[in-house]
Amino acid sequence: MAQMGKTKRFGLCSAAKQPSSTVSGSEEKIIIPKMKTWNAEAVLQALASTVNRDTTASNYVFQDDSYLTPRTSREFKLYYLSQESGRNAAKYFINTFPRYFQKDFAEPHIPCLMPETLELQIDEVSERALTECIQLRKVKAAVDMFDQLMQMGSPVSLDLTNDLLDLICLYGDQEPAQDVPPEQRTNDMGEKHDEIKIKKGRPQRASDFLKIVWGENNNAERIFNMMPEPNSCSYGALIRGMVKHGSIPKAFIMYNDMLNNQLTADVHTFNALISAAPYLKEKYSEKWDLIIDLLKQMAYQKVKPNVLTFNAVLKALQRCGALGRVQAFPVLNEMKALGIAPSLASYDHFLGIFYKAASQAQEHKEIIQEVLNEVSGKSFAAHDPDDVNFFMNTMKICLDTKDMEQAYKLHSLLDIGENWKLLGDSFHQSVYYGRFFNLLCMMEHVDVVLKWYRELSPSLFYPNSQRMRDLFQALDMDNRLDIIPQIWKDIKRMGHDNNTELVEEMLSLMARDKHKPEVQQSFAECALDVKTLYKQTDYGRVQLNWSASSLSSITLILLAAGRIQQAWEILMLFKVTNRVPSEYLLKQFLDCIQMNNNSEQAVALVQISASFCLPLTSHLIKRVQQEFELNEEQKNTLSQL
Amino acid sequence: MYRCVLYIYQGRLVLSHAQNPRMLSYKCSNMFSALVFRAAGKVSPRAFWTTGVPCCEKEKGTTCPPLEEVKNDGKRTGQLQVEDVELRRTEGGAKMRSHTEEQNNIEATAEATVDDRQVERKTMTGKQGLLELLGTMKVEGTTKRKLKALKSLRSGEEAPQRPKLEAMESTISMFQQATSEAAGQSESLSGELRAAASAVASMLPDSAQAESELLRQLRKHEAVSDTQGKEGQQSLSNIIAHMKVRRKVNGRPSVQPTNQIRFDDDGRGYTHDRGITSELDRIRRRKSPFSGKRLSIFAVGGDQEKDTDLATRPTLWDIDLANQIAQAVNNIPRNGFEEMIQWTREGKLWQYPINNEAGMEEDATVPFHEHVFLEHHLEDGFPQQGPIRHFMELVITGLAKNHHLSVKQKVEHIRWFRDYFKEKQDILRETEACLS
Repeated sequence: MAQMGKTKRFGLCSAAKQPSSTVSGSEEKIIIPKMKTWNAEAVLQALASTVNRDTTASNYVFQDDSYLTPRTSREFKLYYLSQESGRNAAKYFINTFPRYFQKDFAEPHIPCLMPETLELQIDEVSERALTECIQLRKVKAAVDMFDQLMQMGSPVSLDLTNDLLDLICLYGDQEPAQDVPPEQRTNDMGEKHDEIKIKKGRPQRASDFLKIVWGENNNAERIFNMMPEPNSCSYGALIRGMVKHGSIPKAFIMYNDMLNNQLTADVHTFNALISAAPYLKEKYSEKWDLIIDLLKQMAYQKVKPNVLTFNAVLKALQRCGALGRVQAFPVLNEMKALGIAPSLASYDHFLGIFYKAASQAQEHKEIIQEVLNEVSGKSFAAHDPDDVNFFMNTMKICLDTKDMEQAYKLHSLLDIGENWKLLGDSFHQSVYYGRFFNLLCMMEHVDVVLKWYRELSPSLFYPNSQRMRDLFQALDMDNRLDIIPQIWKDIKRMGHDNNTELVEEMLSLMARDKHKPEVQQSFAECALDVKTLYKQTDYGRVQLNWSASSLSSITLILLAAGRIQQAWEILMLFKVTNRVPSEYLLKQFLDCIQMNNNSEQAVALVQISASFCLPLTSHLIKRVQQEFELNEEQKNTLSQL
Repeated sequence: MYRCVLYIYQGRLVLSHAQNPRMLSYKCSNMFSALVFRAAGKVSPRAFWTTGVPCCEKEKGTTCPPLEEVKNDGKRTGQLQVEDVELRRTEGGAKMRSHTEEQNNIEATAEATVDDRQVERKTMTGKQGLLELLGTMKVEGTTKRKLKALKSLRSGEEAPQRPKLEAMESTISMFQQATSEAAGQSESLSGELRAAASAVASMLPDSAQAESELLRQLRKHEAVSDTQGKEGQQSLSNIIAHMKVRRKVNGRPSVQPTNQIRFDDDGRGYTHDRGITSELDRIRRRKSPFSGKRLSIFAVGGDQEKDTDLATRPTLWDIDLANQIAQAVNNIPRNGFEEMIQWTREGKLWQYPINNEAGMEEDATVPFHEHVFLEHHLEDGFPQQGPIRHFMELVITGLAKNHHLSVKQKVEHIRWFRDYFKEKQDILRETEACLS
């Protein structure tokens, strides 16, 4: 173990190549380098690897302020975003009023604390000004500048024109979104923006694709047509822009044009074309033929594919139906043969080919095992924006196949290296842990479920009400209903106590069976606690409404605990809230009264029953008359009913 | 592979439990059903299921006279044996030893029970039981083969040892092929076997007799394997030539046992439980998926030169991709150190290990003496003697001791005085200060 740690440490910081001496303590040789150059982060990384997660604390980012301890994933998002937006507000002021922030306190100088120049500095019409426009990503200004330069008759160099085309194509001839509202200027803000979109249940960047459409004859095409001799970079920019902004047939026309001009595309252009291929053709075989054709042209033009190329192929294969399942293995094997390590996105797409729907999951059970065997123990780095979907989607497959073993395997993969980063943002995390927990509740013994619950719950995973109901089901299955009061505390903490369905389900579970007296007492306390919630009229919170079932559940729980007086109070609530108690409840109540032999209460109960006009009343009257010792007055009352 | 061994091991465990005469069969069935329902999340739920269920059913069906129980034992042993034969045929040589051991153990168990009870009755009922069992399993793809194996096995109980000899044959040849140390193996094997046999025997009521019976049986095995081994050594090529290389059978349908319909009421529909054959199928396929054929479009060699990424500066597209990835991954620090790593990357933090010359990179190349010995800067532009010279010497002494200024700044400082005195030259000349 220690040895492993050592080798890991050496791996972390780039060790000098030549070994000076070798120590052969065990079978494994430890090479001690002559001199080591330390990575700037190596010390910190070593220290960070010694810190374990505190399962009882919330995320580290919230530890400064206990007010910001999130209870639900929504709050996590909100608090995290508010922290970020504070930072961004500061940044905004610094960048907007740079003249007040010129004093440089730091020694040595820290560039990222100084105001950035976001306004154009150069006022003249020149190539330098155009370069500046491109650097600051001012699309409109750059196009204007280019036009002015052309009108003046001074030609713009090919490289600069290509840069300009890159800029226009990247943003689809629109001003970049970052420039519109001020708080979206930094990258963190972009993330935030996405997260808000996710909340609406839409895929992450799909709206970006939909929003910006490649305009007919836009500036990019206009400038491209003005170019005397466009090179492959110019074509590449245009093709990538067209693919990105949904003008796919045009992209392929452009590609043909490029081939006719004896130019070769670069790997990024091919990647874009491959990812667009399934949208161009209808039939599965045609799609695949097109992809194969593109790959062959890559090989012919001696373009080296990268991991994104194959990720694009695998992603496209997801849209090729049964053909995808045949070709998926050769594609992965091709990657391996070329020495390109698949990223998590490759495996994600790969699994996506085989597990399209939950119904298919059973047929290919071994595929997920193979993939997880393949990835287990490896540390991955992010190469593809799709990498973050792997954990979420694979856990879904585990859930569909109900394969606990693979789920554990997948979960253990998170502990390796920096893989936890690839779990994605808070949305991905909540989905991943939600699925994992769902599977646990379904398949595992309740003790194991609770162990995981305690390990994940406050620090990583904020279960929603549905997951809490899963937990109740697991408790019910293994007859551990006695810990419901503990769970109730968690439910209150997580703010699910205003969820009527959850509360009612919990109450009915507690009311259903007979338990030990001490358990009954704790249930009764819990039920009374629930009752106070109904009374509360907190500002801004959803009011719980009494239903017949919740009232009768609470009454039954209190009766089972022998708290007749409190149960009686609840019974009174039926009348107040216009609910009708069930016959079973009244019978139970009478049994309980009989045990205490309180004739007065028995008569009152019959009166209540009569006031609801229940058909049971006559039966109750008979029982009371037979089983209780009644005085004259009570007898009279009964006979009147 | 591992799973399968485990599976057999569990099967054996079940067996030994069932053999315990004190344990009533309803208890057994309870245990099995408990196993089945607790199967989730254990190392190999599937294995539990497949062994557990048939056993469970059998147990439920009987009303537990001891003879019936033994019959069931026989059946189960037979089943396990059959599977084992299957396994051995399909597996490569490397793990063979453990299998043979397993098989021998199981055989031994079977024989122990045979010796203890009436042989004739048991063989008949046992055979019938096995047939039944296989029938319920409905493994269409392999029934034939299994039946054949079964027949040979059962007949082997009456006419001693021949089928086992056959069964051993393939194993031994595998041995020879796989390991060079096959010769020594039979001995070590026998030691282990002896231990196993005594362990098995200790579970039986008449342990001493059972053990001796078992050992005698094992000796026969050994004799057989020895002769086989010698043969194998003599004509290795002959054996290899006779070895049947089985192609993997793809697409064998996994048939759902009709008596085990399960329905999951969580809305995800039927779950098909795959039988033993598909379990084995998977083991067969284990090696294939990530080393099979490839597209073969690109050449593996390094002749693809167009790796332009490194040469050119990053384009806007690259920056955009990097941004996308950075946004997608989880960058929230998990502890203080990780936050410090982030700060280090942003350049807000001193880099570890702490170096008090951080940020003074341009001065690092300037040698020490340039900081301290500044006299040569006075050589031109200043008088050789007099008060100005004296003053300037004091200046450079001060500068030499000043660690806040870089050499450039020091030279600049001296230059300023040079210019200053040049400007004031007229005044100085009038006062004759420069001369005196």
